[in-house]
Amino acid sequence: MIDCDVLVIGAGHAGCEAAHAASKLGLETCLITADLNKIAQMPCNPAIGGLAKGHLVREIDALGGIMGFQADKTGIQFQLLNRSRGGAVQAPRAQSDKALYRKDMTKFLRSLPNLHLVQGMVTQILKNGNLACGVKIHTGEKLFGKAVILTPGTFLNGLIHIGLEHHSAGRDGEPASLELSENLDKMGLRLFRLKTGTPMRLHRDAIDWSLLKPQSGDQNPVPFSFRTKTRLENKILCFIGYTNAKTHEVIHNSLDKSPLFSGIITGIGPRYCPSIEDKVVKFPHHSRHQFFLEPEGLNTPEVYVNGLSSSLPLETQNLILKSIPGLELAKILRPAYGIEYDAVDSTLLSETLETYPIANLYLAGQINGTSGYEEAAAQGLMAGINAVLKIQRKKSLILGRSEAYIGVLLDDLISQGVEEPYRLFTSRAEHRLHLRIDNADK
Amino acid sequence: MQEDTIIAISTPLGYGGLGVVRLSGTDALSIAQQIFRPKRKKQTFPPRRALLGNIYDFSKNEIFEEAFLIFFPAPRTYTREDVIEISCHGSPVVLEEVVRLGIKAGARHSEPGEFTLRAYLNGRIDVLQAEAIHDIIHASSIKQAKISFHQLEGGLSKKLLSLREQIIDMLSQIEASLEFPREKLKISPKSITKSLDRAVQTVLNLVESYNLGKTLAEGLTLVLAGRPNVGKSTLFNALLERERSIVTPFPGTTRDYLQEKIHIKDSVFTLTDMAGLDKTTQPAEQEGIKKGKKLALEADGILLVLDASKTQTNEDILLINKFEGKKIILLFNKSDLHKKMNVELFKKGHPDLASLEISALTGKNISLLKDLMREKFVPSTGKSEEIILHLRQKLLLESIYSALKLGRNLLMDGYSEEIYVEEIRKAVPLIGELTGEILNDDILKEIFKSFCVGK
Ligand SMILES: Cc1cc2nc3c(=O)[nH]c(=O)nc-3n(C[C@H](O)[C@H](O)[C@H](O)COP(=O)(O)OP(=O)(O)OC[C@H]3O[C@@H](n4cnc5c(N)ncnc54)[C@H](O)[C@@H]3O)c2cc1C
Ligand SMILES: Nc1nc2c(ncn2[C@@H]2O[C@H](COP(=O)(O)OP(=O)(O)O)[C@@H](O)[C@H]2O)c(=O)[nH]1
Repeated sequence: MIDCDVLVIGAGHAGCEAAHAASKLGLETCLITADLNKIAQMPCNPAIGGLAKGHLVREIDALGGIMGFQADKTGIQFQLLNRSRGGAVQAPRAQSDKALYRKDMTKFLRSLPNLHLVQGMVTQILKNGNLACGVKIHTGEKLFGKAVILTPGTFLNGLIHIGLEHHSAGRDGEPASLELSENLDKMGLRLFRLKTGTPMRLHRDAIDWSLLKPQSGDQNPVPFSFRTKTRLENKILCFIGYTNAKTHEVIHNSLDKSPLFSGIITGIGPRYCPSIEDKVVKFPHHSRHQFFLEPEGLNTPEVYVNGLSSSLPLETQNLILKSIPGLELAKILRPAYGIEYDAVDSTLLSETLETYPIANLYLAGQINGTSGYEEAAAQGLMAGINAVLKIQRKKSLILGRSEAYIGVLLDDLISQGVEEPYRLFTSRAEHRLHLRIDNADK
Repeated sequence: MQEDTIIAISTPLGYGGLGVVRLSGTDALSIAQQIFRPKRKKQTFPPRRALLGNIYDFSKNEIFEEAFLIFFPAPRTYTREDVIEISCHGSPVVLEEVVRLGIKAGARHSEPGEFTLRAYLNGRIDVLQAEAIHDIIHASSIKQAKISFHQLEGGLSKKLLSLREQIIDMLSQIEASLEFPREKLKISPKSITKSLDRAVQTVLNLVESYNLGKTLAEGLTLVLAGRPNVGKSTLFNALLERERSIVTPFPGTTRDYLQEKIHIKDSVFTLTDMAGLDKTTQPAEQEGIKKGKKLALEADGILLVLDASKTQTNEDILLINKFEGKKIILLFNKSDLHKKMNVELFKKGHPDLASLEISALTGKNISLLKDLMREKFVPSTGKSEEIILHLRQKLLLESIYSALKLGRNLLMDGYSEEIYVEEIRKAVPLIGELTGEILNDDILKEIFKSFCVGK
């Protein structure tokens, strides 16, 4: 087996940045992930950026990370949000071709000379005293390294809920990581339960697009990356639709089959990302709720229904669609679902994301209680850079709250911890007016 | 919860009667059991009941002082810890001996303000309430104590919390529209402006209440004015209810003026008598006269004394004119003698001035005068209005005011949300600092240092 300096577990958005950073900084790096065909998968919305998140991507780019460049390259519609407002609260957002993003990222990572991709399910972190020194995978094989960066996303004890049914999974169609949670718990990394969800995917051919309002990208798209030199092109339209009284009635009638309202789901979900049943119950005076239809790519019929995240049963999901003009005949390719998973108490982390109980073990991404591709990528990058700096006995790279959104993100995590899935907002930054997308490289 | 148990004398030193020593902490009871012997043998220490017994010196195995002990179990106590109060004879020697024994039995002498600090740390009170406790202890008037008590009850904190809620509500609307531009959430600048105006006014009222608070705390200053020999000094003494000889200036001694505090019901006044001045012609005292005049002009009110047993003079009228704009009570003194002054006519000439016929010598109408002084001079505190008493509070409120005001102006000038919201945002941590929610240690230490021990 290859002898590595840095082991990265999980090729999600955090893992990809971490592995890229470590190998780019010259260390032999091994990226171990459950399924090599799912590298950089976007399990939820087909988009990158937006407020605060777009800022993060710019900062990642300025620090040599890859998310921004890849998002530009595989983007199919681009918008600069808050164009009418001041520079500090403007942010780029791009619809992505998910499959292309995955493929291109895989190809790019494979091209890195110091990076080795390994398929395998990690079941245990190996320790030497209180120092992490390697991992064990499901085959029993052991891999050793000087630093272990763990980025397992929603896979730790993942439990998918659709209506009152549930099954173990890391995300749709992929097995959960079961042994690892227990192993972390035993090492003194306190675990707690969080919840998130995703809407249904529809077949584009069974949607009556004429009844929905189209939304196009910007005329002059603004890229994420300082390195993107090609002109960005809008290749798709998104569409806007609304729920109505009938939809809300359907939902109300089905609340007894909601795992959320019946108390089956105990993990805490994000307030800012409520499911449609949540919205209907909490805002009874709203006569309708907006949603977006976003194509998941150029060569797939799948359409993401942004705004209808749910864990109601499949039959209710069908009834919901039936109540909406334009979606009456819609065909669900993948049902909406909620997922519960284990996260680690992030106050056990130092500012380099190394854990206090186990030295040389770094945690990044969803495992730290965050949600979002960009938040994951930013942590992966910082963990990757700092793991290398520690191995090289160099001073760690810490960004302050006033310097970067990355600084705000990490500081919030380690000093306050997380009670619900953490998402970055520009308002979390005290120095918002100075943290701009056009000076992220400073 | 703090680890150790603290002890201190909790009544001001030098006061007679009863004195109280207080213990707080997990070991309060066990320490008390070592230094206190109940009269009835083998009696336990029942919660919240006065228990008669003796202070006991366990090293010498001797009892000395009779005392009462009350045990207040946590958490319903001042500090939210177990508290023991031992009341005994108030002499400093006795009290200090009890403290010494307590320390020998394992307690630690408390730092200044530590009981209150613990109450704060254990979440029983916020900083505003802690400050209020300090104020009650040091209140110079019952009125001030009442305001402080209201604060202690959380009146001011409640007001600030609701202000904070209002601001946060406003902020959340604006922030949501900034963070979720695709949702096209509409905010109405009009309703934001209105809400801001309301918040600004609330803060402004509080800032302005500081002067009132200060006056109430330190007392209103009143000056006795009038021609020589109209009876100012006599009135001064009558109001102070003491013998004239005490204030009679000794011949040859120089003094500018006399100043004393008097309490009338729940209010306090600082009374200034410049009688000593007009009885002298020494040039050396001209300086003092100047000073006295300045005092009179800065005073909150004037008691203008006239001699009703003499015909009125021009000088009397001049005096009234000199104090124009000030709150004045006209006093027709020596009303026990035959009246020469046409009091009714005089009153008609000054219909807007309060007046009273008195005799400083016999005490006639002096108690009426006291009522009149409260009525005329003490500013109304309103019904529910909060009053602030601390410079710290005032300065913070001023910062909150300017943040909100600036935010409002930027909004009116058409700046976009993220610019003006930046100013409004600043108000939130400032309110936190005011109530002590997000205080850094240094400020805390500063605040608690100025406390006397205990409540
Ligand atoms: C259903 C769902 C809905 C979501 N909704 C949103 C949303 O609305 N908005 C939003 O911003 N974000 C959402 N997210 C979150 C977003 O997808 C994640 O925050 C982000 O992908 C986390 O990145 P990550 O790198 O931490 O983990 P992931 O991207 O999840 O990657 C984890 C990787 O680790 C691998 N792995 C896991 N365990 C092991 C193991 N033991 N051994 C080897 N490999 C392992 C997995 O195979 C996977 O490749 C959602 C996620 C899910 C699943
Ligand atoms: N009869 C009578 N004599 C008074 C009264 N008040 C003061 N006097 C006398 O008036 C004289 C001057 O009083 P004093 O208080 O020294 O006057 P001041 O110069 O204004 O301070 C003294 O002899 C007092 O006893 C009063 O109400 N009635």
